[in-house]
Amino acid sequence: MKGTRSAPLPSKLSANRGKDTAEQGIWSGTVSFSLVAIPVRLVRAVEPDRVSFRMLHSRDYSPLLRRMVCPEEEKIVPAEEIIRGYEITPGKYLLITDEELESVSPERSRTIEIIEFIDMKDVDSIYYDHPYYLVPLKGGEKSYSLLAEVMRRADKAGLAKFVLGEREYLVAVKSTGSALSLITLHYCDEILGDEDIVPEEARIEPEETSRMKRIIKGMISDFNPDKYADKRREKILTLLKKKARETAPVEAPEVEEEEGEGPADLIAMLQKSMRKVKKNR
Amino acid sequence: MDYYRRISPFILPHLKDRALTLKRYPNGVDEEYFYEKRCPSNRPAWIKTARITRDEGEQMTVCLVNDLDTLIWVENLASLELHVPLAKAAFPETPDSMVFDLDPGDSADVLDCARVALILRDLLLELRLASYVKTSGRKGLHVYVPLNRRDATFEDTKKFSKSVSEVLQRNYPDLVTVKMAKELRTRKVFINWSQNDHSKTMICVYSLRAQDKPTVSFPLSWEELEDSASRRDSGRFDILHSEALRRVEKEGNLFQEVLVKKQKLPYL
Amino acid sequence: MPVKLHTAVKEERIQFHLLHSRDRIKLKQQLVCSYEKVSVPVEEQTRGFQLEKGKYLIVDSSELELAEPEDSRVIEVHEFVKTAQIDPVFLERVYYLEPDIPAKAYNGLASAMSEMDVAGICTWTMRKRSYVGALKVSGHVLRLNTLRYADEVIPADSLELKNIPLSEKELKIGHDLINQLTAPFQPQKFENEHQKKLHVLIDKKARGEKIAILRPRRLKPTASNKLLEALEASLKKVA
Repeated sequence: MKGTRSAPLPSKLSANRGKDTAEQGIWSGTVSFSLVAIPVRLVRAVEPDRVSFRMLHSRDYSPLLRRMVCPEEEKIVPAEEIIRGYEITPGKYLLITDEELESVSPERSRTIEIIEFIDMKDVDSIYYDHPYYLVPLKGGEKSYSLLAEVMRRADKAGLAKFVLGEREYLVAVKSTGSALSLITLHYCDEILGDEDIVPEEARIEPEETSRMKRIIKGMISDFNPDKYADKRREKILTLLKKKARETAPVEAPEVEEEEGEGPADLIAMLQKSMRKVKKNR
Repeated sequence: MDYYRRISPFILPHLKDRALTLKRYPNGVDEEYFYEKRCPSNRPAWIKTARITRDEGEQMTVCLVNDLDTLIWVENLASLELHVPLAKAAFPETPDSMVFDLDPGDSADVLDCARVALILRDLLLELRLASYVKTSGRKGLHVYVPLNRRDATFEDTKKFSKSVSEVLQRNYPDLVTVKMAKELRTRKVFINWSQNDHSKTMICVYSLRAQDKPTVSFPLSWEELEDSASRRDSGRFDILHSEALRRVEKEGNLFQEVLVKKQKLPYL
Repeated sequence: MPVKLHTAVKEERIQFHLLHSRDRIKLKQQLVCSYEKVSVPVEEQTRGFQLEKGKYLIVDSSELELAEPEDSRVIEVHEFVKTAQIDPVFLERVYYLEPDIPAKAYNGLASAMSEMDVAGICTWTMRKRSYVGALKVSGHVLRLNTLRYADEVIPADSLELKNIPLSEKELKIGHDLINQLTAPFQPQKFENEHQKKLHVLIDKKARGEKIAILRPRRLKPTASNKLLEALEASLKKVA
């Protein structure tokens, strides 16, 4: 282990996240309601599990990445050599291109059209699947702000269907602070019924209910999500502080810049221009 | 060396107000060299300098080659090659241009670079961006896209050049690579988009290169590049200092626009 | 109270595989070394805590496990909060709770929580990980929602959105427009039509039919100075 002076532990585990994460675009297109169209980019809202832990290669301590690997050649396959296939019989694939996939629902792959608004109170939380944020693209800031503010005041969300890659999602576009977040929802038929969970007749005894209410009243508080995150962080930090005193941190070798895809809308525009150039050559 | 004295009116505008990185060959071109960013402390009082802040927070004094005398002095330090950042010393985070550093891998050559440069030029034109090309003075080519705007950032130029390079690779996978690993570069042209960074420098146009032949990093017109490429004449990309001096008399500063043309990167 | 968990959601969909264009072999997602660019076997994988870029503190998985408490079959409720206070961004997985105890207590709790519109914030350990969750009620059934930790959620502020002033008129018309377009939440109205269309696409391709490539519809963004106009026109259309 190459040891140097041990660095101070960051007091907030999320400090390492940095601005890049919020800017990683997953999709870009337009959110519309009636005749208003807002150009946006979809970005992640959560980063599960990591808490600044990374998997490393024990030999040289370089960070491990998740990549697609060809099991036969045992090599990482670059993005341009990856194609999509549907298995019709084991080992036999039907190839589907991105354009063919987009053609399936062309009105929904680049547009999130809000068809109606619903009261947030009416939505059973069991429908919520995964949250994202929407970030306005240049020129869309004003209409974005309007939609967010109006939905916030009315406590409503917009319902829409949209296609991302291979899947079509039912989504709720709602306001979170001054931002717009998009939450994918489960379809009705994906939710399992709860009829057999409570097999007995639901007999409610009023005294029992009152007893419970009294207990609950004694435990009422405000929702503070940081509280539990802090507890967990404390535990990990204590463990790590001990480690930092005993061992020195390791250094990973210089790795060239992460090869991620560029921003989705830029790449799309460049690809379009590239096609024109190829035609003229 | 006499070359720099005579080329000075053409090279000085490109060196002006930029933190110079010296590449010093104290014992001649065949011997060891070292890069020096710091302005040597035993400099004459009249050498213009600037103070810049490095990544780790420490301050450093750099040389600014703004006049002939400084240029000559720098030459006397046996600094054959002149490397400068894409931004001026006073605004180190604002690049004046975006650059595509085309570097041929093993078994590829400058003609392959020329092919890529022309496709790149066409793509940039499609985006309404003018570009200018120069030889690296060694095996490659450098394509510059002038910006000259106060709102330009390295973050933008890096993102843009990376995306352009990836799109080129996707469309010409047998010719272009964006991957640095040497094994992946054989027979392909590597587009080093990561040069668009405040900590990186490029060889200054009209600078000498420390090779066995005294070649120069020289600007070419697109017509000439097309012509040399179609004739498959790689020799025409090796421009010696004597030829450089002759040509600037005739052609003037072909890289002038890189310093003045204002352009904005679209779709960011 | 001891309970049994049941998953509440299942998803079925057409599965696509990613293949290598050269030999059509199905690709696997694996952990690879960012430096050497090759797959790394499990015995060479280790966990590190990132102190700063490039510097890590190696943490043994056994050390981490010691830090975690034993699996507990007990879900401990620490406090109750108004259900509306929990932003959906925190909700992760949802389970139904089957009571392991007399129905009286279960039903009593369910009805009390329902009447007071509260959720219970609780913690428990499962598979050597500690979880925090929200105990909720729906009808007569208790549900357990695992919650994301606050540091796993990217705060809206980090998006650095600009503060754009909006006129009273724009806000009023926007509000009216939304009201006009408001409908009761009826999730059963929505079906996953895409699945059906995908089946059609696949069948067509399998038969060797040509697929018409339709360009995705792209809308022209509403310019800031045309926003009021667009809102008024929309209101006219739906009113």
